[in-house]
Amino acid sequence: MADSSPSTNLLLLLLISSLHWLFTPGSAFLIDRDHNTSSAPLEPHFTECISREQETFRCWWSPGSYHNLSSPGALRVFYLKKDSPTSEWKECPEYIHSNRECFFDVNHTSVWIPYCMQLRGENVTYFNEDDCFTVENIVRPDPPVSLSWTLLNISPSGLSYDVMVNWEPPPSADVDAGWMRIEYEIQYRERNTTNWEALEMQPHTQQTIYGLHIGKDYEVHIRCRMVAFTKFGEFSDSIFIEVTEIPTKESPIPLTLVLVLGIVGILILIMLIVITQQHRLMMVLLPPVPAPKIKGIDSELLKKGKLDELNFILTGGGMGGLPTYAPDFYQDEPWVEFIEVDGEDGDSGEREDNRASDTQRLLGLPHPVSHHMNMGCSNAISFPDDDSGRASCYNPDLPEQDTLMLMATLLPGQPEEEEASFDVEERAPASSERSLVQTQTGGPQTWVNTDFYAQVSNVMPSGGVVLSPGQQLRIQESTSATEEETQKGKEDEDSKETEEQKQKELQFQLLVVDPEGSGYTTESNVRQISTPPSSGEGYHTIHPQPVETKPAATMEDNQSPYILPDSPQSQFFSPVADYTVVQELDSHHSLLLNPPPNQSPPPCLPQHPLKAPMPVGYITPDLLGNLSP
Amino acid sequence: MLVCLVFCGKLTTVDAAPLCTNAQAGCHVLSLANLFDRVIQHSARMHGISNDLHSEFEVYFLPSKNQIGRVSRNCHTSSILTPNGKENAQRMAREELTEVILKLLVAWRDPLWHFHQSMAHHHDFNNFSSNKSLEMSDMVHELRKGVQKVVEKMQMLGIISNSVSNLASPEALLASDSAEWRLMKDYDLLYCFRRDSNKVQNYLKILKCRIVPEHGC
Repeated sequence: MADSSPSTNLLLLLLISSLHWLFTPGSAFLIDRDHNTSSAPLEPHFTECISREQETFRCWWSPGSYHNLSSPGALRVFYLKKDSPTSEWKECPEYIHSNRECFFDVNHTSVWIPYCMQLRGENVTYFNEDDCFTVENIVRPDPPVSLSWTLLNISPSGLSYDVMVNWEPPPSADVDAGWMRIEYEIQYRERNTTNWEALEMQPHTQQTIYGLHIGKDYEVHIRCRMVAFTKFGEFSDSIFIEVTEIPTKESPIPLTLVLVLGIVGILILIMLIVITQQHRLMMVLLPPVPAPKIKGIDSELLKKGKLDELNFILTGGGMGGLPTYAPDFYQDEPWVEFIEVDGEDGDSGEREDNRASDTQRLLGLPHPVSHHMNMGCSNAISFPDDDSGRASCYNPDLPEQDTLMLMATLLPGQPEEEEASFDVEERAPASSERSLVQTQTGGPQTWVNTDFYAQVSNVMPSGGVVLSPGQQLRIQESTSATEEETQKGKEDEDSKETEEQKQKELQFQLLVVDPEGSGYTTESNVRQISTPPSSGEGYHTIHPQPVETKPAATMEDNQSPYILPDSPQSQFFSPVADYTVVQELDSHHSLLLNPPPNQSPPPCLPQHPLKAPMPVGYITPDLLGNLSP
Repeated sequence: MLVCLVFCGKLTTVDAAPLCTNAQAGCHVLSLANLFDRVIQHSARMHGISNDLHSEFEVYFLPSKNQIGRVSRNCHTSSILTPNGKENAQRMAREELTEVILKLLVAWRDPLWHFHQSMAHHHDFNNFSSNKSLEMSDMVHELRKGVQKVVEKMQMLGIISNSVSNLASPEALLASDSAEWRLMKDYDLLYCFRRDSNKVQNYLKILKCRIVPEHGC
């Protein structure tokens, strides 16, 4: 057989059902009476018979127009249960006169069996055949209970929402046993309106209402009936649904706020750490960017200030300026420019006459030199020596000394011990200077061929520093004196690492270090050089061993570049003519590295401007600082 | 197997694999609860159609009076003892209840077929009703087979005894009832069938909720 399209079937069914409702047997009570009310006096009749659970039922009657029969007992109810051909009329099993009701309990109720009701008066029987029914046809279930709703969702526009309505079947209806199968109908409307919206009937105990509007009040109630039957039960009590606000998006706001505050707090913390210069924390938070490591160059010395000073020195700002090559020095990366792997040669400028002699000079007469220097220095201590030309150890004007030092380093060294040694300490109460001690004063200095140092043999006009090839240095044996001084200075200096020291050191190293050179400078050397010497030993490192011990306390591993803490403890004996001592400064703040023998060589020639463009001598960082005005 | 397929096809609301008798390859065996659900839905649909037809019949013929008093004497199935109340039905033994169901279904196969035949020639009825009557008669047939399957399953599971098997030959029952239903008018027939289909539905539901009460009771 073919199924007609279900939709048309349903429509026809609905149509038929709607019509059938008028003619359902059992609804005869209502229909017939309505027709008769207008014309004839109303007989006593049954108004309605209803079963709530298909197990019992009740019938109500009315006396109609016959008010004299309204008193209880005037009318009696009789029923006929047609379960057999020999059935008889029986009287109502239970009267409820207050309601004019006749109640049939379970024992008297039979489903699928026609009942006929009759009202009997004194001698009159009021019977209507339409008052016959079967119990299943008069069932009107109780309304469902526990009606509730939950919000399903809200539309993205925030204007409408869906609601899930839940309920329980009427407790009187025995749905669990399957005795009654019930379908439900939800109706809803906006509050204070008259028209109800009815949803499709369905047998489940929940249903979704779609498209409710935000901010509007809705009233919802429900009723039910038996499946495939027509009589609905009463409506339940109404529940009200109202969703006024959309849950605002406040949750993201605190989230962003928290994030912003967190970031701000972290930034503040970092700033505080940076400001307070907690080096350890700074290392953690803001690790230093590794600077290009040029062999032999200490980045520490390239810090701000030293460069300025260096530039100033090189440009001869305060000392009359260096000759031609000075401007060449001052470039963006002057130190880089300066360094040349040229151990041998220097163009212009003075050139060391004899390296060996320089070295020897440096090493040979440590004491006299130192002594001399000491003297010189001591002389100088008292007052600044402007243009004396003597190596004055003391120069209150530190930059000048530093400049001198610098110049000394620039120039090819003359290994004169006496020249080499600067007794910074004696001369300089200033912190920086003591460090500049020349270690060479004093006794025989033995130079070790450790390739730790490079002697600047010459400074080229182009700005290149000419480093002499690796030669052995001899450690000063008599450096103790000077060393002591230096060490004292170092010790004094140790505590303070002034920028000046560093600057000098830096400057010093800039000039001296030969990265690729003939081996003068080695890693350790560089290391030593590079780190800011506590005592600005610098050049002083010629004598490693005594210095080593003492500075051990004062200097760290990388201290005083010219001190060889880790250098072989042994002494170096091979002579190296790599160093010269800055003898004096000429008027132009140029370092004279080959002073007359009488003159004290010490690099404490701060004030003297350099006469010769390329004096040879030692420059310690202190002197470097002094050099600049 | 074929009957089951057709039977399953009738059920519009049930979607499941085809019914298999012996767990053949390719189909999976349905549980008893599932079988019950199928037959219950089928009977519900059958009752719905009978209700529609009955209503339509009344619309067409517009009986002004309630025919119920007259009808009750003419239902040919009145001789079948059926429980008339919930308690009665629940108190009844499973086998007995099952027998009642089967008896009812068997009793209505021929009358409905003849009703359909008479309706087809009735010019007053539209095609819609004619289709409905045919559908109704087919459904009775299918429902009976479905209930038969349920009974077999129950017997296999040992839920009920094998005493129900005597209904396998419905012709024996029909013989006793064959005369009465021809005397019924169409309207009465529809009314009677509407009532009996409700009975079948109720009994099936009670059986199911008694035997396999999970989901749906």
